[in-house]
Amino acid sequence: MAKEFELNEVEVWDGNYAASQALRQAQIDVVAAYPITPSTPIVEGYGAYVANGYVDGEFVMVESEHAAMSGCVGAAAAGGRVATATSSQGFALMSEVLYQASGMRLPIVLTVVNRALASPLNVRGDHSDMYMGRDSGWIQIDAFDAQEAYDLPLCAFRIGENHAVRLPVMVHQDGFTTSHKAQNVYPLKDAIAYKFVGDFVPVDEMLDFTRPVTHGAQTEEDWHYEHKAKQHKALMDSPAVIDEVFADFKELTGREYKRVESYMMEDAEVALVLLGSSVHTAVLAAKQLREEEGIKVGVVAPRCFRPFPYDLIRDALDKPSLKAVCCMDKSSPGGAMGALFNEVSAAAYSTNARPMMTNYIYGLGGRDFSVDEAKRIMKEQKAHADAGHITTNIQQFSGLRGPKLGFYEIRRS
Amino acid sequence: MVEIRWHSRAGQGAVTGAKGLGSVVATTGKQVQAYALYGSAKRGAAMNAYNRIDDEPITNQETKMYPDYVFVIDPAMAFSDDITKNDKPDTQYIITTHLSKEDLIAEIPALHDKAERVHVVDCMQISLDTIGRAMPNTPILGAFMKVSKMYDLDFFLENMKKVLSKFPQKIIDANMEAITRAYNEVN
Amino acid sequence: MSTGSALASNKRGIRELGAEEMVGWDEVQQGVVLPSFEGDAAGIVNMHAEERNYADFNSYTATVASWRVIKPVYNRDICIDCQNCWVWCPDTSIISRDKQMLGIDYDHCKGCGVCVEVCPTNPKSLLMFNEAEENDEALAGWPQKEKKAK
Repeated sequence: MAKEFELNEVEVWDGNYAASQALRQAQIDVVAAYPITPSTPIVEGYGAYVANGYVDGEFVMVESEHAAMSGCVGAAAAGGRVATATSSQGFALMSEVLYQASGMRLPIVLTVVNRALASPLNVRGDHSDMYMGRDSGWIQIDAFDAQEAYDLPLCAFRIGENHAVRLPVMVHQDGFTTSHKAQNVYPLKDAIAYKFVGDFVPVDEMLDFTRPVTHGAQTEEDWHYEHKAKQHKALMDSPAVIDEVFADFKELTGREYKRVESYMMEDAEVALVLLGSSVHTAVLAAKQLREEEGIKVGVVAPRCFRPFPYDLIRDALDKPSLKAVCCMDKSSPGGAMGALFNEVSAAAYSTNARPMMTNYIYGLGGRDFSVDEAKRIMKEQKAHADAGHITTNIQQFSGLRGPKLGFYEIRRS
Repeated sequence: MVEIRWHSRAGQGAVTGAKGLGSVVATTGKQVQAYALYGSAKRGAAMNAYNRIDDEPITNQETKMYPDYVFVIDPAMAFSDDITKNDKPDTQYIITTHLSKEDLIAEIPALHDKAERVHVVDCMQISLDTIGRAMPNTPILGAFMKVSKMYDLDFFLENMKKVLSKFPQKIIDANMEAITRAYNEVN
Repeated sequence: MSTGSALASNKRGIRELGAEEMVGWDEVQQGVVLPSFEGDAAGIVNMHAEERNYADFNSYTATVASWRVIKPVYNRDICIDCQNCWVWCPDTSIISRDKQMLGIDYDHCKGCGVCVEVCPTNPKSLLMFNEAEENDEALAGWPQKEKKAK
């Protein structure tokens, strides 16, 4: 039986420590990990909890991130509650096994502390690794600050382990900006947190010797397609469970999460859509701009990156007042428009408002995103709205040194 | 909102100091942020740490700030770093140095018109005398309590003891002495 | 601030680490490639560091002197030129020519103290002092030979 960890009503924790406490409270059976900056303290913390008797579980040290996720797959198939953490290059090395985990329908929780992908080598945060995971078949939930980095892993176990879902879940937070920024965090007592997460109820576990099973079977064109379709259906149906878990969490803590967070959108004329810690900064900028210049700005943030909340994004943007929307991608798009731009534009196309859509790339490699820059971009959207057409390139770069860089213009006759 | 920017070197405990200050402040019902800007730098490399303190939840996640207080906890960085970056008309500077205030200001052109906002204290010597090694992070907080009048010294000491509770009693005592000395010696 | 050796002062364009010009996306070298030397580097293997034409992005042209809080001071009178410090220094900051110890490269020494740790002489030929202390004063107050306890 694990010891109780004494917690104050308010703690000053960074995102990493917050996530490690959530993993401890969920009483994970196995963490197989290969630590990497900036997510190292999450698994380091779990290791210390095991060593000090605060978790009745096992920490498995492995030789790479590929092996870490492989160990998690094995432990999850055996029938345990399993989690690990990674970032950046480690995430990239895991990627092959990520697809195995989701295809095998193993409810592993992976806390990803978002970090840029090399080259150039860089330890600081952007969304390259999070974007890399978007077709991997995992549920991806995004924490915007340290409190959320504590709350959302607790929800993630409930969501992934639900027998109607049975999918692995990533909980993302921004490297350094969230993972290394300490702030007030209001944790639950151990017993309350564990009760919320609940006991792990295995499915088809390999350690059930009364019913031996094979995991990870091979298929070709005869079976593969049906399994992938069933997996996709499970992802597309998971919002019902996600919403239910978020509702229960609100009842327990008063803290409300939605698959799409939207701020001041009711009368918004222009809006920013973005992810991660920048959401808070953008909301602050929007409030200030409303007060200072009367510009009606709103902010939309997909809390749930996968399954992509197409319907809720559409609802958030379907406002008669809305004229211009800028989607901000914190990942180098590699020869395309940003992923958020593409996906949000697709949802916006089915609204009556049909706002003008533009794309900013920003914050790569940890470049700071300021309130002033958010306001400048919001005012630029207002200029599009006033002109009745997009007045800049459709894709631009924020906070970049050198001559202005942009791609594509609207066709006007 | 009170905003603090630390100028430090990796290994001098600025992050621990910033988090310690945050932990003390949070016990009084306030909201805090404590963070740092560093990459894969090694011990000795220049770095910044930051605190934000407010009565309301703090949502701003940008790194840059217009500080109310600037802590310079490495003596050389008063010369080599842009310590007056994003200065406000009332930004207060607390600088660790073995120089007198007059001599320090004379050496740093950026401080010439800010003399009345500059406070000096030799946190390096204080920490060498008390803690036994160059660890200027806790003494600077003693100086900060004096300059800002944020909390009584005794209240701050009591709460810092809790923050440091994982350390041996000898180290806690040394830190308390360092904080008290810096409180009394800053000018 | 630091008393650089005669060799170190020959280096051209020494700058604080991180003080390089921040150019835009249109001017950065593609592929994040950093040249080691300016111009033709043929024969460079036969040159001493201070004779080489290091490029601006080479860390040799950047100083980390300000990282030090304490510094090693070298005492020529005691040194036996064993080269232990030269072997162990993690930052190539011991300057030795023809197996004779010349001094410390204060532009790159970070004050870790490994050289002092590995020095076998009695008294040591290298000792750590506060950064602000003058080397002459440090040498004047050098400790005497310690007698071995019986």
